[in-house]
Amino acid sequence: MRNIRTHKVEQLIIAAVAFFWCFLMWFATAAFSPSIAQKFDLSILEMGILASSAIWTAPILRPVAGWMADRLGAPIAFSIVLGVTGVVSIASSFATDYRVLFIERAIVGAAGIAFVIGIQQVAQWFEEEEMGAAEGLYAGTGNVGAGVGALLLPRIYGLNYSDAFLHLGIVALVIAAWCLIRGVAAKSAERAAMARKTATIRDTGFVWTRFTAIALMFAYAMSFGLEIGMNAWLPGYYARGFADSIRDLGFSGVRDIQIAAGTFAAVQSFNASLFRPFAGYMSDLWQRKGWMPFPIVSKALPYSPRVHWLFFALVSITIMMVLLAIAGLSGNVVLSVLILVLFGITVSFGTGGTFAIVPLMFKRRPGTATGFIGGISTLGGVIYPLIYGYSHNIHMGYVYVAVFIFIPFIFFFLWAMHYDIHPEDHGIGTKEEWLG
Amino acid sequence: MKFGLKKHGKEVTFEPWYKWGVIFLYLEMLTAIGVSAYSLYMAFSGKGGFPGKH
Repeated sequence: MRNIRTHKVEQLIIAAVAFFWCFLMWFATAAFSPSIAQKFDLSILEMGILASSAIWTAPILRPVAGWMADRLGAPIAFSIVLGVTGVVSIASSFATDYRVLFIERAIVGAAGIAFVIGIQQVAQWFEEEEMGAAEGLYAGTGNVGAGVGALLLPRIYGLNYSDAFLHLGIVALVIAAWCLIRGVAAKSAERAAMARKTATIRDTGFVWTRFTAIALMFAYAMSFGLEIGMNAWLPGYYARGFADSIRDLGFSGVRDIQIAAGTFAAVQSFNASLFRPFAGYMSDLWQRKGWMPFPIVSKALPYSPRVHWLFFALVSITIMMVLLAIAGLSGNVVLSVLILVLFGITVSFGTGGTFAIVPLMFKRRPGTATGFIGGISTLGGVIYPLIYGYSHNIHMGYVYVAVFIFIPFIFFFLWAMHYDIHPEDHGIGTKEEWLG
Repeated sequence: MKFGLKKHGKEVTFEPWYKWGVIFLYLEMLTAIGVSAYSLYMAFSGKGGFPGKH
């Protein structure tokens, strides 16, 4: 590990900026999909495939990113991701063939794996009692990159996606260089060495089969997986489910209805991102105060208050899903949107609460655990919209997901956390069998 | 910056950065509330969408 003078806040800023830019690049394709569709004369289906291609690589590559962060150190891992996606983003700005552009943008979409790398870096630098706020500040600030991209890129560049992709790629290379020059993998050489030592296939298998890792993956699928699924689903939901109400507000025509529906959806995303640091801080606060209000949740673990906070978040998310369906069935768009605001906040409680626990529970394997939990959970973003879409009533999909997926997830979470000593060691196969 | 007691009775003393981190996260939260309120006002009054006129 390099020995340069630095401070953990500098490392937090480097990680947050790198992650922010990766998220900006991740969602840049979707932001420009209308202009790309116009230029290449794409059908609605092709446009949808292009916009969703960004998410395809996340479940597979996020675990790889976690392993890479443990093995090489986060600054090098960030540089590789930013370097590769930056170069391909620049190349995509010159693409004249749609197939070439599609493949290049799918590769740029891999920038979304950077989340895992920064979580690992922050875990390697901050102390237990400040972990919630530190991880929350990192992830919440970085997540905003998605919203900022959707909001600002089309306004700055108009229909000129080529220039946008070029500039995004160039800045990515500059940030990659910054990570290499100023980034330091861990607070101490011992911490870095421990993470490197545990980045093996056996350790990966061990983490992936732990009940608590699976429970936290479910918790993240209930929060972040839900958030990205809702990002894709909500504009269409409001445009279809509340078309008449939106017309009554004074919006006429497809374009105007899309603007209103997109506004409601964006508010969810914005709250889910910007409340996330607060959620991490609340986890710290519950821990500090020793708040453990739920009799059915374990109280024996050193970080039990954080588990209680996450349990509160998961129950809140489930309740909000049901309320969202009730508001939809009532046909009251104002009520639905107000619940959606609260919904976004409770989602942030889940995302912030999950990653206030992961680095503490898997101290020796932060990247591997984050890769699994942050990667596989993104499948929720694909599965939930499909369930909503196949529901006979457009509003009832939320109830189906809440009852048939979220409630079983919560029960599994409670069960996995019931061990009083080292719950992270329990799983399929013993520690000795996996690690020797 | 000192806060109460940790679960096992160990006193927690935060470094100065934590105070600024908490201020920053409150600012982010206020930004979310402000943008939500403004854009929903614009939408519900039929004036435009996120984050303002279109």
